[in-house]
Amino acid sequence: MGRLLRILLHSSGFFTFAVLQLLCLYLIVHHNDTQRKIWAETKFVYGSYFTKQVSDRLAFLDVARENEILRRENAALLSRIPGSGYNTSVDTSTVVDSLMQQRFTYLASRVVSKSPYGPYNTLVIDRGSNLGVERGQGVVADGGLLGIVSEVTPRHARVISLLHLDTRVSAGLDNNAFGTLRWDGHDPRRVTLTDMPDYVPVAPNDTIFTTGYSNVYPTGLPIGIVESSEPMPGTGSQHLTVVLLNDPLLAATGYVVRDLFKEELERLNQVK
Amino acid sequence: MNTSALVNSSLRFVLLLLVQVFIFNQVAWGWGQGDLLFVFVYPLFVAMLPLRLPRPAVILLGFLLGLSVDFFSETIGLHAGALTLTAYLRPFILRLIQPRDGYNIKANPSIYDMGGGWMFRYLALLLLAHLVMFFLLQTFSIYFLSDIVLKTVFSLPASLVVTFAIVLIFNPKA
Repeated sequence: MGRLLRILLHSSGFFTFAVLQLLCLYLIVHHNDTQRKIWAETKFVYGSYFTKQVSDRLAFLDVARENEILRRENAALLSRIPGSGYNTSVDTSTVVDSLMQQRFTYLASRVVSKSPYGPYNTLVIDRGSNLGVERGQGVVADGGLLGIVSEVTPRHARVISLLHLDTRVSAGLDNNAFGTLRWDGHDPRRVTLTDMPDYVPVAPNDTIFTTGYSNVYPTGLPIGIVESSEPMPGTGSQHLTVVLLNDPLLAATGYVVRDLFKEELERLNQVK
Repeated sequence: MNTSALVNSSLRFVLLLLVQVFIFNQVAWGWGQGDLLFVFVYPLFVAMLPLRLPRPAVILLGFLLGLSVDFFSETIGLHAGALTLTAYLRPFILRLIQPRDGYNIKANPSIYDMGGGWMFRYLALLLLAHLVMFFLLQTFSIYFLSDIVLKTVFSLPASLVVTFAIVLIFNPKA
């Protein structure tokens, strides 16, 4: 403070001059017509330029608000592109046949969301309870299995992928020997068929089908091809390594399988 | 500031104000669209203030005299602004034309103390600063640079002759 005071005292001449000169300029501009006009013109010419420069320099201060506005605008625009629409047309394949009563119907759906790849893969499809999708229904895709519906909202459903450590699918060979299909969480192209009796002859390249015993998938849908078999000592069963026919990670569409007899079959299972 | 200097300065303030306003403000000469030649004598007041007077006092007195001239000339701020700058520049001009052995502690800026040649250069520099600033404020734009230069070229010799004549005639000691 003392230092500042000394500076002020030392250059008191300059400060007196500056103050009085500014006062003079003020008086000139406010009491002389010619100078006032020139001042107004100068201010008009350079003021806008100066203001623009300043606002350019300080534009970043406003960037948060600008960002918010742009994000809102982006959202409004994105909602208008075709991909953001919810497809309300229903593609259900139903065959009317007098000999065969329809048991399974297939509802076409698009995959709209996938979890990042990990041991617990899930995905979301754009069909929900409005179109009869229910918890426990299977989803097939690309000539193979995709997963099982776990959560349902009116317009969407969450599907537990086949590549999920908790997924269990009943599967077997065409000689009616069956086991449980599960994924070990390592290779997204291979799954393991467990609990297959070890006396059943299995050869590589045998095809694995769904059994339909769990009322999730129809009977006889191909799942994959046996790569190798490994007997489990002491358990009486063997593990089959199965190469999947499709790649569930790459699926973009899927068909929700609806079992029309499901309620009836569930009534049977309620009886102990 | 001793008594004689105080009295002399006060007298100069009033007299130079009256002379400038009632005589030399009527003198304006030029051709074409505007006047080019003006005679300013009142900077003499600032020039002849004692050398030991503090700078803020010099500047303030210059401002007051300029404002007084402005009141009679209906150009509020013009003369005041020019004379304020002149008063501010006075120490720099004094240093510029400093004699080899510096200023005597009792010296006054007068022919009596400093000699005619020094006084002439001193007044010339002061008037130059004053005139340039005055015409700059009058036109109020660098755009009229040729105008400023022309007016200064015409007004400087005239003002210098008149002020130096005044100094020679009265030859004040303080």
